[in-house]
Amino acid sequence: MKQPYTPRPNSNRKFVGGYRPRIDAWEKARGKVEYIDDITLASRFPGMLYAKVLRSPHAHARIKEIDVSQAEQLPGVVSVMTYKDPEFTSLKPTNAGWTDGVDTVSYDKKMWADFNDRRVLGDYACWVTDEVGAVVAAESEEIADEAIRLINVQWEVFPFVLDPLEAMKPGAPLIHPDMTQTNVLPPEKMGGEDVFLDKGDVDADFAKADVVIDGTSIHHNATQASLDNWCCLVDWTDEKLTLYSNSYEADQSRMHISEMLGLPLHKVNVISSYVGGQFGRGDTGEQPFFLFTAVLSKKTGRPVKFKHTRRESFHDSRQPAIYYGKVGAKKDGTITSMYFKSIGNTGAYADHSIFALKFAPLEISEVSFAHIPNVKLESYAVYTNKLPACMMRGVGNSQFNLIFGHVVDLLAERLDMDPIDLCIKNFGHEWGDFPDKSLMEVLKQGAEKIGWSKKRNKPGQGQIYDKIKKRGVGFSLHPAWHAEWQEVRRGHIPISITLNPDGTVILNAPTVETGTGSNTCNVLGCSESLSFLGVTPEKIHWNHVVNTDTSMKDCVQTDSAVSYLQSEVIATAVEELKREIFERAESVLKAKSKDMDIVDGCIFVKKNPDQCLTVKELLFKGDLVPIVVTKSRLPNASKTGVPYFANFAEVEVDTDTGKVDVLHLVVINDCGQVMFASGAEAQQVGGQVMGMGEALTEEIIYDEITGVPLNFNWIDYKIPTMADMPEIDPILLEIWKGAGEYGACGIGEGTLTCTPRAIMNAIYNAIGVRINDIPIKPEKVLRALGKV
Amino acid sequence: MPKPSKGTKKTVAKPSSKIKIKINGCWHTFEPERDIEPTMTLSYLLREKLGYTGLKVSCDEGACGACTVIMDGKAILSCMMLAVEANGHEILTIEGLAKDDPIVEAFAQQCEPGYGTALQCGICTPGFVMSTKALLDENPVPTMAEVKEALSGHICRCGCYAGIAQAVTHASEKIAKKGEES
Repeated sequence: MKQPYTPRPNSNRKFVGGYRPRIDAWEKARGKVEYIDDITLASRFPGMLYAKVLRSPHAHARIKEIDVSQAEQLPGVVSVMTYKDPEFTSLKPTNAGWTDGVDTVSYDKKMWADFNDRRVLGDYACWVTDEVGAVVAAESEEIADEAIRLINVQWEVFPFVLDPLEAMKPGAPLIHPDMTQTNVLPPEKMGGEDVFLDKGDVDADFAKADVVIDGTSIHHNATQASLDNWCCLVDWTDEKLTLYSNSYEADQSRMHISEMLGLPLHKVNVISSYVGGQFGRGDTGEQPFFLFTAVLSKKTGRPVKFKHTRRESFHDSRQPAIYYGKVGAKKDGTITSMYFKSIGNTGAYADHSIFALKFAPLEISEVSFAHIPNVKLESYAVYTNKLPACMMRGVGNSQFNLIFGHVVDLLAERLDMDPIDLCIKNFGHEWGDFPDKSLMEVLKQGAEKIGWSKKRNKPGQGQIYDKIKKRGVGFSLHPAWHAEWQEVRRGHIPISITLNPDGTVILNAPTVETGTGSNTCNVLGCSESLSFLGVTPEKIHWNHVVNTDTSMKDCVQTDSAVSYLQSEVIATAVEELKREIFERAESVLKAKSKDMDIVDGCIFVKKNPDQCLTVKELLFKGDLVPIVVTKSRLPNASKTGVPYFANFAEVEVDTDTGKVDVLHLVVINDCGQVMFASGAEAQQVGGQVMGMGEALTEEIIYDEITGVPLNFNWIDYKIPTMADMPEIDPILLEIWKGAGEYGACGIGEGTLTCTPRAIMNAIYNAIGVRINDIPIKPEKVLRALGKV
Repeated sequence: MPKPSKGTKKTVAKPSSKIKIKINGCWHTFEPERDIEPTMTLSYLLREKLGYTGLKVSCDEGACGACTVIMDGKAILSCMMLAVEANGHEILTIEGLAKDDPIVEAFAQQCEPGYGTALQCGICTPGFVMSTKALLDENPVPTMAEVKEALSGHICRCGCYAGIAQAVTHASEKIAKKGEES
């Protein structure tokens, strides 16, 4: 039996923070929840057609000529449209990086306005399988597929480049020659200059520091791999356009369609329900395929469904990054200078590359390195002919942690210090006391659980098991980044509470639930806030469908912050609800509102508690109209700092085969306030699957000669299964506290950010040789050991 | 091996008789060519033609387990089987489980400290439930190694494997308890 977490002393929460099933668990376990592919069954949309898009067989090419006549003649084909059609030539150039999902933005305010490198349907392809040239609508998916095969294209094939270092060299093939004369994305207003932070003088400090270490780390193209492949259905058969999709951004999708197709917002309805996993895929809602599907629906006068196959869903990835890090310190371990330089493989389209490369390091330097006098950060995002890359359960944090945890381990070794002590000595944050309580506790708990002091070896010098196996432990830590003040860009967050006459509640806290468990957090938050009414979670119905015609703006499942943001708003709506109840009770209780109170659902006059009635009695005496309170507010901008999280790993390395077995993972998140313990632990445990996969087995492999990706399938792209996973210990803490009633932060992304580096440091501790490019496959281990 | 497509008509010899498949306890009769084309997968028949959407098609090539159903007591990948191959066989989908099925119950209720829930986004869950049913029907008290072996053909990208393993253990206990009661 594992132990439950220890809540903050005297927190006295009735519902928030509890161990309990998810509110949707029963429906999901029975297979009753409908995802987009279920919602859009042909039987529900009479006359529905299926769309397919032409995909480039070349890594870099332009269409010289296209002949669709054979495709058009295939029985069952209803429409073939090409990039030459006015419906497409009239569309503005765009990108898939309008927003990171936090806020809704218009075309003019999109985050990466300088990189309009995508066409909804163009003639130019920048990676193998790029969606380009022509789209088909047909009576079945197979006919649509067949029609695509019948399209005759003459390609003008260009040289291509996959490696960002090659792509940076003069004379390298230019990926977007119409836009830039170099593959390095130019500096722009959001991310700033190439050197985007230059505090103090790192070079001068390196020259005089007692100790200077440096190192590199390389992160690869991991992919989100949601089981719920991208899919949409568009019905634009009259003036109104309705989009059903599994985008996690309903309101942003509506804005995107409105802005791109020139429709007023009330003529666009976006409907989304449960999504089978998101993990940052597609970055945001603004997918070009929504638009070409819409155009096909308009053209054919029929609803059109477009669905990626699993192979086509290798459509987004975590941005690969090569990091160089250099750190200067005094003999006593005080860090005086830090320098990081990164080169990111943007892939074919810019999307949120700059976000990944510049925002994440800047964030950590603002909190954890704020007091370090010399810090320099430098970054280059480079176009190549690989699949586009940016967000995946975090935006750049995993890549940065790979170097951060590396230089920490290197420096500690050089100074002959325990890296835990080095972290406590050096990292905290700008607004907090020093040493940082959250950081200390996170590391203390992790160290205890993994057995740090007993199991940590002199690198490579530990005990040998079965004659050939060596074990080691390692960790990495990172500051979290989803406190409420970091969510200000969201703008107003609306919710509404409907109190039914019988005392049950309808909660409208709109969000597209992607599996994070925020719906359960909200129901717990709502029952906590309404406990004066005796409302338990079972008495609350949470609406899971977001429909932009009838719902309020959805709070997007990014930053894992929906776990508390809406609950904070719910907490502030309570006074208004009480006021409404008292007002209605005035005539019945013959008393003034100010003289009343409610406890456990009983309204009474303070001076005479016998003069009372239940809310149900009150409303049944009246007109039976439910009380509705709608509240919307901005996130609390008070700068409360952020908590820390860390991962510890124990590994066993087979020095004969090079295979790494992870024996034990510990994941520690300081949450501020645990909103829903079983859900938070599910995030912690679940994150390790993705983190360990990235560290050891997951990798997209390209044929270097042709640029063709070779493993866009789940046989060869190796996601860990149940049989691969070690013992995992999740530890939830409540040390730091943010603003508001709960003072929580999002933890989903921060469960796996440190996993790869923790495993890498453990491997070093086991074998005494550092391997700094993931995934750490057996051949890399053997090479490091000098065995191949 | 070419992957079977689902709707394209191909010229093949007409089977002489009707296709009969028992689904969740009821026999269904299908007219070859008209209802079931030779290249149609079982997952397509169940989802698109009959509306059993509890099973999910994600990879459509036998790599993820989301489309798992039970045929004659064994867990099978319905995306890897042609509908015609089910002729004369008995199929159980998640819709065919009793409302108080102990496995469904165990998956839904899993929340004990230290393991997380047995599901998050839930899209892989019906597949896991069906494989668990096939496992426990054959081996009511499996060891953890046997559970891992039986369920390692499934991908849960939310990574709820630890919670799922707990749910399987609890389901096994629930079934044993029910057996004692009856």
